Amino acid sequence: MTVSVYEEIAFWILGPLSLAGALGMLFSRSAVHSALWLVLTMLSLGVLYMVQDAPFLGIVQIIVYTGAIMMLFLFVLMLAGRESSDSVVEVLRGQRIWASLLGIGLAGLVVAGVARSLGDVTPAGLDNPAANGSGGPGNVANIGQSLFTRYLFPFELTSALLITAAIGAMVLAYTRKQAKGGKNRQREMVNMRFRENTRPGALPGPGVFATADSVATPALLPDGSIAKESLSRIIETTPVTQIEEDEALADRHPDAHALTGAARDGDDGASIVASPASEERSE
Amino acid sequence: MTTPASLPDIDYAGVAPVLIILGAACIGVLLEAFVPRSQRWAVQVVLSLLAIVVAAIALGAYLYTGPQNTSTFAGSIALDRPALFLWGTLLALGLGSILLIADRVVEPGGAFVAQAGIRPGTMLDKEQANRSSMQTEVFPLALFSLAGMMIFCSANDLLSMFVALEVLSLPLYLMCGLARRRRLLSQEAAVKYFLLGAFASAFFLYGVALLYGYANSVKLADIANAAGGTNRSDALLFLGMGLLLIGLLFKGSVGPFHTWTPDVYQGAPTPMTAFMGACTKVAAFGAILRVLMVAFGSTHWEWQTIMWVVAGISMLLGAILGITQTDVKRMIAYSSVAHAGFLLVGVLALDGSGIRATLFYLISYGFTTIAAFGVVSLVRDGTGESTSLSSWAGLGKRSPLLAGIFTFLLLALAGIPLTSGFVSKFVVFAAGMSAGITPLVVLGLIASTIAAFFYLRVIVLMYFSEPAADGPTVTLPGMYTTAAITLGTLVTLLLGVYPSFMLDWAGTGGFVV
Amino acid sequence: MTPTYYLVLSGVLFTIGTIGVLVRRNAIVVFMCIELMLNAVNLTLVTFSRINGGLDGQIMAFFVMVVAAAEVVVGLAIITSIFRTRRSASVDDSNLLKY
Repeated sequence: MTVSVYEEIAFWILGPLSLAGALGMLFSRSAVHSALWLVLTMLSLGVLYMVQDAPFLGIVQIIVYTGAIMMLFLFVLMLAGRESSDSVVEVLRGQRIWASLLGIGLAGLVVAGVARSLGDVTPAGLDNPAANGSGGPGNVANIGQSLFTRYLFPFELTSALLITAAIGAMVLAYTRKQAKGGKNRQREMVNMRFRENTRPGALPGPGVFATADSVATPALLPDGSIAKESLSRIIETTPVTQIEEDEALADRHPDAHALTGAARDGDDGASIVASPASEERSE
Repeated sequence: MTTPASLPDIDYAGVAPVLIILGAACIGVLLEAFVPRSQRWAVQVVLSLLAIVVAAIALGAYLYTGPQNTSTFAGSIALDRPALFLWGTLLALGLGSILLIADRVVEPGGAFVAQAGIRPGTMLDKEQANRSSMQTEVFPLALFSLAGMMIFCSANDLLSMFVALEVLSLPLYLMCGLARRRRLLSQEAAVKYFLLGAFASAFFLYGVALLYGYANSVKLADIANAAGGTNRSDALLFLGMGLLLIGLLFKGSVGPFHTWTPDVYQGAPTPMTAFMGACTKVAAFGAILRVLMVAFGSTHWEWQTIMWVVAGISMLLGAILGITQTDVKRMIAYSSVAHAGFLLVGVLALDGSGIRATLFYLISYGFTTIAAFGVVSLVRDGTGESTSLSSWAGLGKRSPLLAGIFTFLLLALAGIPLTSGFVSKFVVFAAGMSAGITPLVVLGLIASTIAAFFYLRVIVLMYFSEPAADGPTVTLPGMYTTAAITLGTLVTLLLGVYPSFMLDWAGTGGFVV
Repeated sequence: MTPTYYLVLSGVLFTIGTIGVLVRRNAIVVFMCIELMLNAVNLTLVTFSRINGGLDGQIMAFFVMVVAAAEVVVGLAIITSIFRTRRSASVDDSNLLKY
C-alpha cells in the first residue's frame, strides 16, 4: 500500500530535517547549539506524528518536549554555560571510531530487520471503528478511554514518578540558607564587621594616581607605593606571580605617611572580598 | 457517540501490599511539609517500618485467603505465586534496608547529608557534616523505590514494567548522591548511575516498541502467542527481545552490562548500597525470570545459547575482576556481578525447579548482602567509613565479634556449607544440570572457586596480619544497625541449616499467563 | 513509499543518539542524546500503532513522554548539583571513581 502524495511530500521534507537536526546535535561543539538542533528534530517529529493519525501526540510532543523539556535543558545550559563546549581530545583512544562502528552496526541491524519484516506490509490504519475503540470518533477521546480502562494501573503509577521528580529537585536544590541560623544577612554582616574592628570601611580602589580604572590595577598611596590591601585576588586572570611581585613591591616601600597601614602584621586585607574566589581555587 | 468507560476489575486485597507502600510514601511526603524538623526523623522511621509490616500482614492474609494465580488491573499485574514470593522477599529486605538507613548512632546524624543543596567543600558544608540531622526525604523516596520494585517483578505487560522500572530507578539515582561524607564521590556515582540507567532504559524501550510492532500488544502472554503464529518475520521479535534484555540485564548488573556497579556501590551511602545490592537484584531477576519464561519461553531454542554466553561472561568477569580490588565495597560489587551470573543459571533452566532455585537464591543473597554492608558501615576512621582493604588488616584482633560475623557472611557469599550461600548455589546448579546446561554449571563451579579466593583473602587479612597503628576503629552500632545485621546473619544461618521450608515456599507455583 | 520508511528513519535517529551518548563528553549533551533516543522510540511506536491498527502504540508514546519529563527533572537536578561543585559538566572530569 502506498500513502497519499501529500504525506509523501511531508515525509520527504520533515524526515531530512529531523535527520539534519540529529546530526547537528551530534556534531556541534557548543552544547547550546546541540540543544537548538535537537529542538528542530523534535518539532519535525511532532509534525510527523500529526501526519500519521496521531494529532494528540503531535501537539503534546510540541508542548511537552520542545516547550517544556528542551527549555529546561536550555535553562540549565545557561546556568552551567561557562564551559559548555566539548573538548575534542579523546580520553579513551579510538573511542570515537569504535562507537561509530558500533552505531553503524546497530543501525544496519535495526534497519535490515525492520525492512525485512515489514517490507511489504499493509498498514491497517486508524480510520476503522474497530481500531478506534468504543470512544467514538476522535483521537483524544479514545486515548483517554484507554488510559482509564486498560492502562489504568501504569497511568496511576506515573503519579509516583511525578512526586519523586518534584521531591528530588527540591532535595537537591533547596537550602535553608535564608532561614534563621543559615547564611548571614546584611545587618549581621555589618555588625560583625564593626565588632571585629579591623577595617569597617571599604578597601582602597584603583586610586587617583592609577593608570587604569580596572580592579586589577593596584591603588597607589601618595608616595607612589602600592597599597597592599588593594591587590585583588578575586580576578582569576591575575597570575599568582604578578600578585607576589606587587606585594613585594608594596613591602619595599614602607611609608610613614601612607593613608593606611600598608603592612599590618601579616593581615591580608583582601581576604574578606576574596573569600569566594579562594574557596573555588581550593576545591 | 461514546459509550461509558467501565473500570477494569481490581483485586484490592491482592494489590494491597503495593498500595500500602505507595500510600505510606505519599503520607511521608506530606509529613515532610507539616511535621517540625526536629521530629521528622522519628515520625518517618515509624511510618516506614509500620508500612512495611502492615504490607507484609496484608500479603500474608492474601496468601491464605485469596485465589491463586490471578491477575488484576486488566491483566497489568500478575498475582501468581512467584510474584507474591518476591513481594515478601522485597518487603523483608526493604525492612532491613530501612533499618540501616534509619541508624543515627554509627554516623552522628545518619549516613545521609543534612542539606543536599549545600555545595560540598564550603564552610557551610563542613558545618553541616557535624550536624545531627539528615535529609528525611530519603524515607519516602526509599518507599517509592520499594513499591516500584514490587510492581516491576509482577508486571505482566511491558508498559507497566517500564513505568515501574522508572519508579524504582529515579529515587535510587537521587539517593545515591546524598552521602554525608565524601560527597563528591557520591554525587559522581549519582551522575554515572543516572546517565547509564537512562541509556539502558532507552534500549529497553526500543525493545518494547519493536515487540509491540511484532505482536500488536505488549502483554507478555500475547507476545508468546504471536511467536507461535504470525506472518511477521522473527527479526523483529529477536531484535526487540535483545534490546529489552539489555535494559533488564543492566538493572540486574549482569555480565558485560555491569560497568556502573562498582562505581555506584562505592560512591553511594552504604545503607543505600545495601538497598540497591539486595532489592534491585531481586526486582531485576524477578522481571528477567518472568519475561524469559512467559513471553519468550516458547522460542527458547533460538536465543538460549546467547544467554548462556552472557551468564558465563558475568560469572568470570565478576570473579576475576573481584580479585584485583582493594576496596571492600568494590569487591562486594564485583562479587554481585558473579552472583548475577549464577542466578542466570537458575533462570536459564526455564522450568519449575529453575524458578524455585532462583527465588531461593535471591532471598538468601539479599539478606547476606544487607548484613555485609551493615558490617562495612561500622569500620570507620576520622574521615568516615574506611573501606580500603589494607585498613581492615588485623580486624580479628581488634574486634573479634565483628570479624567473626563478617567472616561468616563472606563464607556465605563464597558458598561454604552450613550457610545459605551453599544451599542456594546447590539448588541453582542442580536446576541447571537437570535442564541440561552442564557446561555452564561447570563454568559456574570454576568461577565460584576463583571467587572464593578473594573472600578468603579478606578473611586471612583480618585474622593473620597485624593491625596498623593508625587503623580504623569499630564503631559500636546503634539499635537499628544491630537489628539489621542480626536479621541478615540469622537468616543466612537459618537458610543454611534448615532451608527446606523456604524451598517449599519458593516452589509452590509457576507464572500466570 | 510505505510506513516502513518511518521505521527506518527512527532506527537511524536512535543510532545517532546512541553514538552521541558514547562519544560526547558533556553530561548535558549526553542526556540530550538519550532524549533523542526516546524520541526515536516514540516515532516507532506511533508508526506501529498505525500499521497494527490500534491506539496502544500512541498511548505508550504518551507514557514515554510523561516518564521522560520526570526523568529530565531528576537528571538535570543531579547534573546541576555536581556542576555547582565542579564547575564542569564534562563526564571526563568525573573521575574520582576508578579501578
